[in-house]
Order: sequence, then structure tokens, then C-alpha cells
Amino acid sequence: MSFVSLAFALFVTIVVSLFYIVPKKYQWIVLLVASYVFYFICSEKLIIYLLVTTITVFLCAKFISKSVKAQKDYIKANKDLSKEEKKQIKATFKKKQRWLLLLCVFINIGILAYLKYINWGIAYFNYYRLMWFGIVDFVNPVTILMPLGISFYTFQSVGYIIDVYNGKYEAEENIFKYALYVSFFPQIIQGPISRFNELAPELYKEKTFNIYNIKSGFIRILFGLFKKLVIAERVSPFVSSVMNFKDYGYDGFYILLAVFMYSMQIYCDFSGGIDVALGVAEMLDIKVAENFERPFFSKSIAEYWRRWHITLGTWFKDYIFYPLSISKTFLNISKWLKKHFGDEIGKRAPLYLPLLIVWTTTGMWHGSESRFVVWGLMNFVLIILGTEFEPVSEKLINKFNIKVNGFWFKSYRIVKTFWLMSFLRLFDISKDAKDAFRCFSMIFRPWNNFNMASVYENLSISHDDFIVVVIAIIALFIADLMARRGPVRKRVLEKNTFVQWVLVSALFTVVIVFGSYGLGYEASSFIYGNF
Amino acid sequence: MREEIIEILQSVHPEVDYEVEDKLIDNRIFDSFDVVSVVSELIDNFDVEITAETMIPENFNSVDAIMNLIKRLEEE
Repeated sequence: MSFVSLAFALFVTIVVSLFYIVPKKYQWIVLLVASYVFYFICSEKLIIYLLVTTITVFLCAKFISKSVKAQKDYIKANKDLSKEEKKQIKATFKKKQRWLLLLCVFINIGILAYLKYINWGIAYFNYYRLMWFGIVDFVNPVTILMPLGISFYTFQSVGYIIDVYNGKYEAEENIFKYALYVSFFPQIIQGPISRFNELAPELYKEKTFNIYNIKSGFIRILFGLFKKLVIAERVSPFVSSVMNFKDYGYDGFYILLAVFMYSMQIYCDFSGGIDVALGVAEMLDIKVAENFERPFFSKSIAEYWRRWHITLGTWFKDYIFYPLSISKTFLNISKWLKKHFGDEIGKRAPLYLPLLIVWTTTGMWHGSESRFVVWGLMNFVLIILGTEFEPVSEKLINKFNIKVNGFWFKSYRIVKTFWLMSFLRLFDISKDAKDAFRCFSMIFRPWNNFNMASVYENLSISHDDFIVVVIAIIALFIADLMARRGPVRKRVLEKNTFVQWVLVSALFTVVIVFGSYGLGYEASSFIYGNF
Repeated sequence: MREEIIEILQSVHPEVDYEVEDKLIDNRIFDSFDVVSVVSELIDNFDVEITAETMIPENFNSVDAIMNLIKRLEEE
């Protein structure tokens, strides 16, 4: 059941109605049943993976939590323990907890890694066996059916058990309540990746019907559909066509246009899906973490990554970057480097080495092909360059007396960041890393052969489609600009009822009339739904 | 302790008035690189074990917050 289907609209209507009709103490049960029904409709027998993750994480977290409590009680009951003795007791308890944590993470990340990388591993195995030993007896690839949203619910579950291990909060006692946290239907397909201490209280709290939440959620869903159907779906065939036919002598501007359009497509596809998810959650009066903060207005790559797919970024920061960078290993490396190569190099080690690991992992998370690892590494290099050249750019800014917060300089930085990130997206749409670099070089082909007639004729986008896309992108730009002062839908709802009706009807009509679909059409699945 | 902490913070961002500023993280004056630099200096200078789960905005928004964190960790 796609987010973009009548079936989903009907499903949400039934769930929201039931949610407010049943006695409040049963509301969370409605959500749990709805989430499992939704997941079963989407994935059928693959629901087994979701159950395995839910049960293993629930049990391990429960045992860890019990051990953490026993540790605290023991220390409390033996107040006269010395600092050293306390440390020893903690270490004994921690050892057991660590084993449970590692077992749980191993099982769940293991399942994810197996499903994502097994065929990639087999392909390399076959290749190197042939190259080194001349063996042509190839191992066949495994047929893999990827459970929907497995990356998202696995990351959310692993975050939960690490938090329990760290004593941030106690494990949930009720397996059904925990199962709801993992499976909450609006966010299971493509996030956001929520934290237990933020989402769980929202899911279990009793809610009172408020028409404001329904209206606000509805507008957000409409806006999400606008992004997905009016822009992303319409641009997608054009981008694919340019990439497929790029070797047929099209000049550089076609490639540049495709790069721009792909940025729009991926933003509208992903953030549109998130808008639908958060809009449904809002109708249920459930606050879920935001995943985007107008990323195309970022002034640097580091800032861009703080505003794009926010919950994945903070997940990597909290569970990989911070623990690695302040781990004894990296601090010792830092000390060693400081001693042998000086302070400047030494102090960078606990920053750059974990960051390299984070970006390699982020690249692998996006896909098993090597082009995604190269994409991750390119991001890493650009962030490092941005950091290292900061003093130089500050000197230049002072020398030329540039107003850092002035309109032109800010615009320059925003445009520069947008294009750098867009060029990196070539790794998404190219066959491999080499093809991405080749494609980038094609942008510098002569630009004198470009004409729109050829675009309409050969590149899967009609004149009317193109006009709709351009107007829709301008509207999106204005909406994002307006969102600087807070969500636009909140301001719409401050207007009188007549104005509200006019604006919402207009958006609804635009989605219905200009959405890229017809009778019997089913929108393609969300790009991030495959992760 | 306070002076020592301010000295560490100044080595990362000398331009900030640490006596006044109480939203170092919330106002995005310190990014994650800065926090890691400060934490590794704190670990070096004070005999405490700082773990990743303590690296939250509430513990690093001001000199006082960092001082409270160190005291809390010293007591543990």
C-alpha cells in the first residue's frame, strides 16, 4: 500500500476515526493493530523480520535494564564502598550488559547487512575467485526480498537498546507497547528514525480529538503529495532519459538540467513522503521528529547534512561519531600523533578518523555498490576541506571586507552548496563511480546545441509537463522561504475559515489536476522506501 | 575548575564571551567537531570518564553546565 494511493487515504481515514472513537486507554492498541495490518499488507510474510527485531531487542533491552537496576541497587545498599570498589562492581555488571548489547546488535545489524550486501559479497567472491584462481564455477546470487523500511526500524531499535545500555532510560516493560514504537505505520517505510524517549510517550499518551490537528495534518499531507506527485513523479522520467541517452551527443546543458532536476526529484520524493508521514501523525496528535529543515538553504555542506535527513545524521552522530571520537582508542591515537607530529595533527585525529568511518558507513547504507562508498567519501573530503579552509576564507572575507551576513554573500554560499551537493548526487543516478565522473565532465561539453524542442521530443517530458514543473518548483521555493518563520500551514490556519477553505481547496485541486497520474495509475514507490 | 574549563573552551572558540553565553549548542556556536575537541581536552585535564550519552546539549550549553557535568562524573 503506497502512501500515494486511494487505499492509503481510506486506511488513514479509518484509523484516525477509530483512534478517536475508542476509549482513550485503547488508543495505542488501535495504532498497534493498524501498524501491523499496514505492514502485513505491504510486506506479507516478510513481517517475520519485523517480529524478530522487535522480540530480540525487547528481550535484550529488558535483561540489560534489569542488570542496570541491580547494579544501582547494589551500590545503593553498600554505601561504604570505596570509589575503586564501586568501579569494579560497575565493570562486572557492565561486562554482562555489554555482551547482551553486542548479541542484540549483531543479530539485527547482521540481518540488515545480510539482506543488503549478500549478493554484493557473492559477486565479489565470484570475481576474485575467477581472477585469482581461474575458477568459473560461479556461486549463484540469493533471491532477496527486502522487508519494507528495514534500515529505518533496525536503526531505531539499535538506538533504543544502546540508550538502555547507557542507562539513559529503562527498558519498556510491555512488549506490545514496544512493538508499536518499532512499527508505528506512518514512519516505518522511510523514517524519520525516532528516539524512544521522544516518540514512546507520544504514542502511549491518551489524546483528545481536536479539529485543528486534523486540518493541520491534512494540509501537510497535501503539501507532501504536491511535492511527490506534481514535481518528483513528473521529473523522474526526464532525469532517467537524460542519463540513458547522455552518450547520444546531447550537449552539457542537458546534463546540468538533469542534475538540477534530480536534486528537486530526490528532495520532493523524500521530504514529500516525510510530510505525508508526519501529517498522518499530526492528525493523531502525535509529534514525530522532523527530518528536513529546508536543506537547500544551507550555506555549507556540514550545515546541509544537519538539515537533510536530520534523524539519520543525528543517529550517526550519537551512536557512531561521538562514541568513536571519545573512545580510548581514538584518544590514544590522538595522543600518539600529538607527540610525534604535533598538536595540529593530533587534535584532528579523533575528529577526522571517526568522520571517515561515519561517511563510509553512510555511503554503504545508501547502497551496496562502490559508487555509494565513493559518494560518502566525497562528502567526507568536502566537509574536511570546508573545515580546513575556514581560516583562509575568513582571512579573504576580512581582506575584501565582505559582509558575511549580506544578501549576496549568503546567496553565493547557498548556491555553491546546492550545486556541490547536486553534483555529488550524480553518484545516485550513474551506473558506477567512473560513469558519475564521466557524466560530470559531460557538463563541460559545448552548450550551443541545446533546444527545448529536442527535450520535449526525446526526453520523456512534454512542454506542458515542463511548464508545470517550473511553476511548481518556484512555488516550492517560495513556500520554503516562507517557512523560515515557522510552518506555513500554521499561518494558513490562523486565517478566517473562508480563506482557509480557498487555500486548502486550491492546493487540493493542484494536486488532483497537476499530479502526475491518471486513471489506474500507481505512483512509483518512494526512493528511500527501498533502504 | 571554572577557569580551566573556560581556557579549554577558548582554545576552540576564542571569540565567545563564556561568562554570558548559555546556549553554546542551541545557538550552534559549537558544532559536533567543537564538542569532541572540548570533551577530549576535558578527559585529559580532569580525571573523569566522559561517555557519548552525556554529550547532549544540556551538558554543554554553558560553562556552568560543563562544570556540573564534571562534578557529577567525579562523584560517580
